[in-house]
Amino acid sequence: MSADTPRKRGIEARAALLDLMPRQEEAARRRLAELVENVAAKRPPTTSFSRFWILGSLQAKVSCAYLAYWLRSRWADAEERERLKSETHLKAALELLGTMGYLRGAVMKLGQMLATFPDALPEEFARLLPALHFEAPPMHYAMVREVFLDEFGKEPHELFASFEKQAFAAASLGQVHRARLHSGELVAVKIQYPGIARTIESDLKNLRLLMQPMRLGEDWDNTVVKLAEVERVLLAETDYLAEATFAQTVRDAFTPGDGIVIPRVYPEYSTRRVLTTEYLEGVHLEELLESRPSQELRDRYTHLLTVATTRMLYRTHWLLADPNPGNYIFMPDGRLGLVDFGCTRELTDEEWQLQVKVEDALLRRDEKEMERLIVKASLYDSAGQMGRERLELIGRVIRWQLEPWLSEGMFDFGDEDFFRRGMDAMVEVMRKGFTRGMPVHIWTNRFILGARGIVYRLKGRCDFQEIYRRESGRGGRERSTTLCPPLTPPAEPSPPPEGEG
Amino acid sequence: MRISEQAKQLCRARILEKAAELFAARGFDQTTTRDIALAAGVAAGTMFNYFPSKETMAMTMVNEALAQGREEFLTRLDGGESLEEELFLLIGTELRRLRPLRPFLGPVLERSLSPFPRKSVCPEGETARQEHLECVRQILLRHGFVTTPEDVAGTIYWSLYLGILASWTGDQSDNQESSRALIDYAIRTFVQMISGAHRGGDHVR
Repeated sequence: MSADTPRKRGIEARAALLDLMPRQEEAARRRLAELVENVAAKRPPTTSFSRFWILGSLQAKVSCAYLAYWLRSRWADAEERERLKSETHLKAALELLGTMGYLRGAVMKLGQMLATFPDALPEEFARLLPALHFEAPPMHYAMVREVFLDEFGKEPHELFASFEKQAFAAASLGQVHRARLHSGELVAVKIQYPGIARTIESDLKNLRLLMQPMRLGEDWDNTVVKLAEVERVLLAETDYLAEATFAQTVRDAFTPGDGIVIPRVYPEYSTRRVLTTEYLEGVHLEELLESRPSQELRDRYTHLLTVATTRMLYRTHWLLADPNPGNYIFMPDGRLGLVDFGCTRELTDEEWQLQVKVEDALLRRDEKEMERLIVKASLYDSAGQMGRERLELIGRVIRWQLEPWLSEGMFDFGDEDFFRRGMDAMVEVMRKGFTRGMPVHIWTNRFILGARGIVYRLKGRCDFQEIYRRESGRGGRERSTTLCPPLTPPAEPSPPPEGEG
Repeated sequence: MRISEQAKQLCRARILEKAAELFAARGFDQTTTRDIALAAGVAAGTMFNYFPSKETMAMTMVNEALAQGREEFLTRLDGGESLEEELFLLIGTELRRLRPLRPFLGPVLERSLSPFPRKSVCPEGETARQEHLECVRQILLRHGFVTTPEDVAGTIYWSLYLGILASWTGDQSDNQESSRALIDYAIRTFVQMISGAHRGGDHVR
């Protein structure tokens, strides 16, 4: 090894770091690289924190994007004094971000979205949307065995006829293994990372600290309430027995003719930390798209996804708040499987009433009432207090979200202009910091964004109004029980049914 | 008259059993050797022939549990484990055996395993350290690492292990699951440290 290797390595690391930064604003880019370097250099090189900055991983890329967004909004146009202040906040935030275990992925992906927009193509954006889920660290098999001993007093291979040591999917709180019961059924076994609840609690504490310097001003109290809401829903997700009960409720809402499959739960193999369900054969969205599905099939799945989500919403008043596309299984016989009901949120009566009123006002095209409801949902007393700009922008988002409700006939969720308008408005809301609102909107937004991202990538269409009328029982028609045409063999999928996102 | 070896063993076992009951019920510090002798039905003098102190009694229980854990650990191996997994299984299996003693372990381990210089070193504590580190050395050897209990790697490992024990003895979470995450991180940190920057698993990103 030559003597100048460390120095050379340092220069290379610096170049790699600069390479990760967004291209715009050269001065800001260089300053950001310096800051990142300084923070990283303060720690011994063996910590995961500095490795994560220096090695140029995907994580580093997305965090840089996040920081670039921060910098662009807080630094680039600011006065010198403001810059120094922002830098101090930025340094603190950088250090905190590196310590977050569970929310880090989601926070950074949000940053990446904000930073790359509007440069990102809608397609890239749609890919990013569902990536907004949380992540637990992976578990090796030795850890899985210990969890099983704690939960069942038995090893996996004692409990099941066979058990795959490698997980086949990541879940938001852990991972999923394939196994076979002694009675022969193939099952999916979801196992929770031990102590994840404590990690969530400490991450949210960190997130509160991370957000403090964003100077949310009058909306800070609202942000605190929202973080408490996030904590409540995420902690509820750690109870797999509650999830099992909910999955059963959802399962009861569908019949075989619907073409929608909710896997059966095996309670005798489930505990608070381990959930065993029927294994659904099929592929995830990526794989489906790679197979270049016909428009017919795209429309069919769009229909099924719409039916599934609207039925859950209108019949049980529950939102699927996890936008992870891995929760949808595209089955070889043309059916749609829904798995993982961990991250869900039930609407309260008050929240539900507001939803109903907004829909009614929209369908009546009662603009005055719409405005009143938007003001109310944003937690203001009057339009004057809310301010024109905020009212207009929030209104734009809500109207975009509800656009399918107003469109007769087939609605094209793959339409680029439609998708971009929505993303545009939502990103603008984030940039302006117009985030004040009812805590439940975190989940409605996540629910709509996740589903819209999927149907956009599917380039699918469905008759949304028809589905809405049937599922909600509103609009003068009774809810029908047969929603999907009879199943046909996979080779020739059924005629394009109506159906969303 | 000489008492038989069998009778000795029975007496020793009875003393340990009663001591464990009292430690669990009253706490280690609140239990006196006199209480134990009384409960076991032996004279205080006789008891000291078996165990010179209550600390020795507690650490004897600990060492027996740890030895059982290590024995069981070996039967659980299937040969395909990574270094991280093997260390995780070792600690997990040992702690499972220690679990019944957990209610009174805090002060016992603090005194017997303390790495700080002390006037009197508890020989059973030293045995616990040596035996555990020997097992770790064997595991490391199987994975191609040569180390001795006294070298830097051994010392760092022991520090992490003491941290794990300290967390685990006071862990209020169900089945001490918070400590399980700590064990996972501690082992990955150790493996990363002894094998350079490129190992350590997916946690380290």
